[in-house]
Amino acid sequence: MLSYSESITIKINLKCFIVQSLPCKLLRFGREGSGLKGTAMFGYVIINKGDMKFREFDVYHAYYCGLCRSLKEKYGLFGQMTLSYDMTFVIMLLTGLYEPEEAEGSCKCVAHPFEKHGIRRNEFTEYAADMNLLLSYYKCKDDWEDDKKYRQRFYASLLEKGYRKLGGKYRKKTRKIENLMGQIKKEEEAGCRDIDKMSRLFGEVMAEVMVCKEDIWKENLYRLGLYLGKFIYLCDAYEDIEKDLKDGNYNPLLGMYENPDFEEECREILTMMMAECSKEFEKLPILENIEILRNIIYSGVWYRYEKVRVKRKSEEKGQAKKNE
Amino acid sequence: MNNPYEVLGVSGNASEEEIKKAYRTLSRKYHPDANLNNPNKAQAEEKFKQIQEAYQQIVKERTEGYGNGGYGNTGYERNGYNSRGYDSRDGNGYGGGFGGFGSFGGFGSFGSFGGFGNFGGGSTGYEEDGHLRAAGNYVRNGYYKEARNVLDSMSEKNARWYYYSALAHGGLGNTVAAREHAKRASVMEPGNADYRNLAYRFENGGTQYRQRQYTYGSPYAGSGNFCLRLCIWNLICNVCCNGWMCCGGSPYRGY
Repeated sequence: MLSYSESITIKINLKCFIVQSLPCKLLRFGREGSGLKGTAMFGYVIINKGDMKFREFDVYHAYYCGLCRSLKEKYGLFGQMTLSYDMTFVIMLLTGLYEPEEAEGSCKCVAHPFEKHGIRRNEFTEYAADMNLLLSYYKCKDDWEDDKKYRQRFYASLLEKGYRKLGGKYRKKTRKIENLMGQIKKEEEAGCRDIDKMSRLFGEVMAEVMVCKEDIWKENLYRLGLYLGKFIYLCDAYEDIEKDLKDGNYNPLLGMYENPDFEEECREILTMMMAECSKEFEKLPILENIEILRNIIYSGVWYRYEKVRVKRKSEEKGQAKKNE
Repeated sequence: MNNPYEVLGVSGNASEEEIKKAYRTLSRKYHPDANLNNPNKAQAEEKFKQIQEAYQQIVKERTEGYGNGGYGNTGYERNGYNSRGYDSRDGNGYGGGFGGFGSFGGFGSFGSFGGFGNFGGGSTGYEEDGHLRAAGNYVRNGYYKEARNVLDSMSEKNARWYYYSALAHGGLGNTVAAREHAKRASVMEPGNADYRNLAYRFENGGTQYRQRQYTYGSPYAGSGNFCLRLCIWNLICNVCCNGWMCCGGSPYRGY
């Protein structure tokens, strides 16, 4: 998720710290916690805040808060801590597509104790909360099995009850996702260099999450999720490549890294993935909140990539100066 | 099946937005949930289905070439659009231009290339090898998996091989390999227009996406995460509280 270290010192940020950083800090999502490459699955599908109208942000935030509420009600405090922006995107996408009945309200919460703010919930909020918990559980379990991080086992055990409930509700989905996760792990251990194969495995996990109903939109949603997942997997690999190289960890892009056009190639490949994703998105008859969704698909998803680019560029500059 | 444009009540050259709007309006009206107490419930549901199908059909026609290669590759694409065949029966001039897509079925992820109408060109001198010819036939008919099996069993890899391989990979959604092989074919035989076109299409596959992307500012403005940025704004607001920067009097935005 978002980096949090800088923000702690600022008083006001405490509020935001609780909501955004605590979950990922505790559960160690994002890159720090990724024992397995393919499972750093949260924190990519976010908005580009700078290019968003205040009104749009309010709506986005209302869905985000709705998700937070649902997680808390269904899975308690520890469930709430798995809250992610990525699933907010899933909610808004499915909401735009199906236009379900919605409960709108306002509330105060820990994160914003002094102001009332809007909150929106519908059937897809519940669905996304389930998926959020499911993925978080796998993440913790993987980390535990991989690195024997006791803290992860502790969190996995906290989420276990909720997970068992879900196993019955989404039997087919959970079985498929579990199977895919197992395959990713196996291939990573074997050091698979096939970028298409590896990204597809993770893409299919996202695709399963995206397909909420067996209906006429299934194929579009599946492909949308597939390519979004591929993007996330490869973007994460791109982000970690230097670190993985140093530590001797698996990374699907290792084979490509020696290539002099590595940066260029990565950008091209990532763009192709998002291009496919956006194509499927544009086919769906979504009008509601389309600007927010486009903001995420065309811009927000590049946040982490751009961040790494900026960092690497400044490092290169520093290196060049030193050499002089 | 009826003309899908008629089902949605829009003209044949309606914009994407108009079609989406028409779909939304009609689907709200005929949605089963909205017709629970309607005595003609069954008809409404039937109509709802028709609307959904009409919408899907229009999208498919307008984007044909996108195909469905990514979804399990179950061969869905082979009997997808054309088996409905409404345009051939319809004969009101509307469907005329679309018949030709059938044989290609859909080329997976090549959507932005606008279909593969000009691909193929029959057998050439390249295909003296029976294996290669078989692979070409498979690719042309959308049997990408079978094409891959044949291609992978071959040891001699010439430009034609890379060309078919790129198409097969593309159909299966293997974007990275498809792009690489298309490039290689074009490098091996720079004079071949088919190869060059394919490589070019891959290079420019994301053009449309990129154009849209450029309408946004960089998501990472280099000053830390947006939460932090907001907080700095909030600080500024607190310091000079009469400023217009106070976000329209709704301070929680600086959460």
